[in-house]
Amino acid sequence: MSLMVSPDRADEGAGAARDTGEAPERELGPNAPLRFLLSNEFGLIILIILFAVIFSTLSPAFLSKFSLYALGRNAAVNIMIGFSMMVVIITGGLNLSVGSIGVTSAMFGGWLMQALGVPWVLGLLGGLAMGAALGAINGVIIVRSGLHSFIITLATMSIFFGVMIFLTQAESYREISPTLAGFGRLKILSVLSPLLVTSVVVGIALSVLFRFTALGREMLASGANPHAAELSGIRVERMISYCHMLSGMLAALAGLMLVSRTGAAIPSMAGQLGQDWLLPAFLGPVLGGTLLTGGRVSVLGTLLGAFLVTMLTSGLLLMQVGAFWVQTYLGLLLLAAVLLDLARRSYLAQRKLV
Amino acid sequence: MRKVWQSDWFGPFAITLLAIVIVGVANPSFLSPFNIQILLLAISVNAMIAFSQMIIIAIGQMNLSVGAIGGLAAISFGGMMEVWGIPWPIAAILALMIGLLAGIANGAFVAFTGISAFVITLASLSVFKGINLGITEAQPFYKVPETVKALGNETFLHPLPWLVIPAVLVAVLLWYMLFRLPLGRNILAVGGNTHAAELSGISVPQIVTVAHAISGFLAALAGIMLVGRLQLGQPTIGDDWLILSFAAPVIGGAILTGGKVSVAGTFLGVAIVAIITQVLVLFNIDPFLVQVVLGGLILWAVGMNRWREVRAERQAVAAGT
Repeated sequence: MSLMVSPDRADEGAGAARDTGEAPERELGPNAPLRFLLSNEFGLIILIILFAVIFSTLSPAFLSKFSLYALGRNAAVNIMIGFSMMVVIITGGLNLSVGSIGVTSAMFGGWLMQALGVPWVLGLLGGLAMGAALGAINGVIIVRSGLHSFIITLATMSIFFGVMIFLTQAESYREISPTLAGFGRLKILSVLSPLLVTSVVVGIALSVLFRFTALGREMLASGANPHAAELSGIRVERMISYCHMLSGMLAALAGLMLVSRTGAAIPSMAGQLGQDWLLPAFLGPVLGGTLLTGGRVSVLGTLLGAFLVTMLTSGLLLMQVGAFWVQTYLGLLLLAAVLLDLARRSYLAQRKLV
Repeated sequence: MRKVWQSDWFGPFAITLLAIVIVGVANPSFLSPFNIQILLLAISVNAMIAFSQMIIIAIGQMNLSVGAIGGLAAISFGGMMEVWGIPWPIAAILALMIGLLAGIANGAFVAFTGISAFVITLASLSVFKGINLGITEAQPFYKVPETVKALGNETFLHPLPWLVIPAVLVAVLLWYMLFRLPLGRNILAVGGNTHAAELSGISVPQIVTVAHAISGFLAALAGIMLVGRLQLGQPTIGDDWLILSFAAPVIGGAILTGGKVSVAGTFLGVAIVAIITQVLVLFNIDPFLVQVVLGGLILWAVGMNRWREVRAERQAVAAGT
């Protein structure tokens, strides 16, 4: 578990103690670079470069300015959805209601702007507050009942979405403030979407939270070993509630980014009950090496994982494999990713690198 | 008497009876033969969906791909009859085999990689749904034989629809398998305590694979029954099964960590959900609220189960001291 926090410390121990023959000394001594080469992040970078080369040779349109811009814009939303799931996975739980919260919050933001005519900043903040509130409801119910987050968020996914559809009567809000809609269509240097910048900034903020702040470390510790964390004075239940609140807020941000991209808040933008977000939500963190059992996080991995998924999707669409088959490939990708991760971990364990 | 009162299915049974009486008095059309037929049709199909999830809950896992398998079986059934002209009984058997194979694939992956069933079935959900959309391109198969349509809607004995027969048969067989055969005992043992089951000589990977195979088979059966019911092979079949598939077993007293399920309870859970849905329609309440009610029912049921658990623990502690 301490692997991500301070790799150096583990190095010293392994280098000194395990120097018993079999494996050549060279590999054991300076294995920090080797470990990076075997890390998910490095693997993802290689895969991204590889597929970028493949797609651009097969279809020159892949590298066109518009294609790159659209890729970044789509990746931005997927990255945010991945972050939203990631911050709950670190507690060892999961949040099935990300899509439901995302759409509900976005609809609330849309309602504020269209029905009440509030300025876009307030609409945005209102949406985020709604997301945080719904996430907090999840967190409190989970902590109070002592039940697994799976069944609680399965129930709230249905409840949040049902209430939202009932209140909106499945109607869209199309009178979104032009500033917000303009933001989603803005082009920086004609290829970069400000939405992607937003996701990267949020990613940096999350890295800082988990690496350098006491709050972030307490969240991680609560996921790694709740009992030990409790004994060392961490209020585990509060940390789990915070993680769910953060998850709700990030889901709301992803929903609002979609609103800004399409210029409307649409109740069906994440499918029935928000189920369409589930696959991207898990693909990013799982590809990026966030442990599903909790306690370990890789913000960069999630970002790269979500980017890879978006790139594969748009590449496959460009190569005209048929839009309907893309989902099958994404499912196979998730399967391949978890199997590869299994192989990688057993390799590392055999070589005593972990 | 005390045993009956304390059994898992008593609570849901009492609620079901009470609901039928109250709604029947408030709106007599609820108990009309036609309405009972509609209600039984919904219960028959939904019971298969719920059992498909229940058998996985029994081993302490979850199967997110229940709906995707059902949808794949449904469009295979429709497609084989329309495109290849295969007679419906053979098409139905082949579609059931597809469900069985999909379940075995799920089970084998979970059992032999040790990766959580959640991740495996999330991936396979996407694969199966993708194959479904790839084949149909989101267009339904319309040419369903008249016999199938009749079997999916009409009654053999007024007001009992044909679909009740497979549903009751499956419920009885499942009960017999789970509580009278060694296989069922092994399934519940794996769910109750995997490690202890392994130590007592049960092949856990084999049991996990069998449970997933049964789940796939039942999901496919639900899909096929729905093709008859809806009179077309819709690619969207299965999209909205997830919540229901968990709600009914949980209302029936199933514990999600495994080892404890109730066939009768699950059946009554399905009945409660069906009655509530009907009531919302009968009293002209917004159908969108069904989702809210379903979610609320899950929360209520898991809360009740948890409360009973805690109380039992306290009583055990009190008896010990």
